[in-house]
Amino acid sequence: MLSELLQGIETGGLLIIRDSCSYSGRDLLQSFIIAAINREEVVHVLCFDVSEEELRDRLKPLDTQRLHIHNAYSDPLGWTGHPAFTVQQFSLEDLTGLIKQTSQPKAALLVIDSLSWILRHMTPPTVCRTLQQLRKGGPVRAVIGLLHTDLHQRGTVGSICHLATSLISVAPGVKGNEAVAKITKRSKSGKVLLDEEIFCITEDLTVTILSKPSHPEPKQNNTEEEQTDPTANLTFNLRLSDSELEAKQKLALPFVFSKEKKTALLHPGPGTGRILYEPDANDDYDQEDPDDDLDV
Amino acid sequence: MFTELNSILNTSPDSFTRGEFILVSDRQSDASFLIHHFLSFYLRSRCKVCFLGLVQSFCHYSAVSQRLGVSLTQAKEKGQLVFFEGLNESLSLLIPQENNTESEAVNFLRDPAVGLRSLYEFVRSSVISSGSVEEGAEEWGPPVLLVDDLSVLLSLGVNFGAVLDFSHYCRAAVCSQLQGNMVMLVRCNGEEEEEDDGDEETEALLKGLTHQCSLNLHVQGLPTGYCKDIHGQVEVCWKRRQGDGPHTQKNLFQYKVHDKGASFFARGTSSAVL
Repeated sequence: MLSELLQGIETGGLLIIRDSCSYSGRDLLQSFIIAAINREEVVHVLCFDVSEEELRDRLKPLDTQRLHIHNAYSDPLGWTGHPAFTVQQFSLEDLTGLIKQTSQPKAALLVIDSLSWILRHMTPPTVCRTLQQLRKGGPVRAVIGLLHTDLHQRGTVGSICHLATSLISVAPGVKGNEAVAKITKRSKSGKVLLDEEIFCITEDLTVTILSKPSHPEPKQNNTEEEQTDPTANLTFNLRLSDSELEAKQKLALPFVFSKEKKTALLHPGPGTGRILYEPDANDDYDQEDPDDDLDV
Repeated sequence: MFTELNSILNTSPDSFTRGEFILVSDRQSDASFLIHHFLSFYLRSRCKVCFLGLVQSFCHYSAVSQRLGVSLTQAKEKGQLVFFEGLNESLSLLIPQENNTESEAVNFLRDPAVGLRSLYEFVRSSVISSGSVEEGAEEWGPPVLLVDDLSVLLSLGVNFGAVLDFSHYCRAAVCSQLQGNMVMLVRCNGEEEEEDDGDEETEALLKGLTHQCSLNLHVQGLPTGYCKDIHGQVEVCWKRRQGDGPHTQKNLFQYKVHDKGASFFARGTSSAVL
C-alpha cells in the first residue's frame, strides 16, 4: 500500500507520517516529495526542522522548477527581525497568499516538515482547523505532514491523526536499514484499510518495499518449516508402492505358526530323519544306588 | 581530549565535520567528562568557542582543562574562548552591585515566561566574529557552541518548549548559517520506562533534542550495576547517513575515566576482564 500512496494522493487528502526518536520519518517524507515532482506536480515545502540548503542538497538531482521551499527554519519565531515565514503565519490566508505568489495554475501539494514545530506553538484546535480548511480546496490539492509523536500528548497526536486520510507510522526494523511502516488508509466511502509493510530507503531516496504480508514474522517461520522437511532426503523409503505392499503382505513371517507349518511339524513326511533308541544297561545307572540293590 | 573517542567518532582536531549538532545525554550517570573532552578538542582545533557553563564555576572547567593540557585563561585572553559563567551572571542579576554590569542574557531568571531569546542573542553576538578584526588579532576557525547543561534551565523554571526553541535557533545560527558545531548536554535522572515520575519535562527535552541532533552520545551506567573498572557505557548514535550505511547507526562502548583522560573499549573487552 506504501507504493500506492507514493504513486499519488487523492485530491483533498491529508497524509501524516508519524515517527519517533528511534526512527526518523524524514527520509520517507523526502521520498514523497521526489515522487510528487516526478509526477510533475507543484510542490510547496514548509521547512521548520531542516534548513533549505540541506533539503535542496538532499533533492539535488531533481528538476527544481516545480519545487518551492519556504524557509521557516532560520527564524520561525521572528527573533532576528527578518523572518521569511513564522509559525504564526500558519493559517489559511497566509498560506494561500504564499502559494499563489508563485502563480502556477496547477493546484499544489503542500509538504510540512514538521507539524510538531507548529503544534508546539499553536493550540491543537487551531492547527486542526487550518489543516481542515487547506484540504477543502483552494490552491492546495493535498497536504503531507511529518509528526514526531513522542513530543506531544497522546490526545494532540490523536486529534491530528483523526483528520488524516492516510497515516503511516514508521518504526525501525529488525535488520540494519529496514523499517516497518504501519499504514491506515481511510477511503471516502468510510472503509478503513490497514496494512503493514517492511521497506528500506536507499541513499538516493528510493523506497524499496521488501515484503507485503501483514504479519511477516509468523509467515516467515512457516516457510522455514516447509523448507526443512525431515523426510526430504532419506536413504530409504517411508512409503510403499502398491506392488511392494502386495509383496509384503504375501510374505509369511518366521515364528508365526500357520496351519501348514503346524501340520508339517507334527506329521513329518517321508524322507525325514528318525531317532532310533535302544536302551543300554548303563543308561539306567543311578548314582545314589550304584549297586542297584536298594529297594526304593 | 580523548584520542580514543576521536577515533571512534572518526574525527581529529585537524579535520572534523562541520555543521554538526552533537547531543550528549546521560541517564543516572555522569557525562560531563565528554563536555571537557569537546571543550579541549575544539580549543585545540582553533575554533572560536562559546561556552555556556551553567553548572560549574570557571575555575572548575579551567582546572579540568589544565589536566587535559589546555589553558582556558589563555584562550580567553586571546579571544578564542567566550566563557559565560552562569553562576556569576545570575548572581549579578539577582543581587545588583555597582561595579557589575547587569547582563541581559539571564533575564529569564526574573520571568521564565519570556523565554531564552536574550540568551540566544548573547550566543549569536559572541559566535559571529565582529566585522573589524583588530590589528594583530588571531583569526579563529568555525564557531562552536558548548552548553553544560540544558536541564539546568528547566530547573530554573523555563519551559522545555522554550529550551527547544533556543536550541533550534542556535542550530540555525551556528550549524546551518555559520557551518560551525554545537555540543549540548542534557541530564536525566529517571528510568526510561517510568512515565509519571515528575521528570516529564526532561524526557520531552531529551526527545526533542534527539530529533534535532545529528549525533547522539548517550551515557548510562552499566545495566549490571556498579563496577570499579568499567564506569559505564556510551551509546554512539549517528542520525545522519554515513555513506551507504543504515539510516541510524548505533554503537555501544564501555568506558573508564582516568585521571587525565578516558579509555573506551568494546563491550566485555575491559583490561580488567581479559
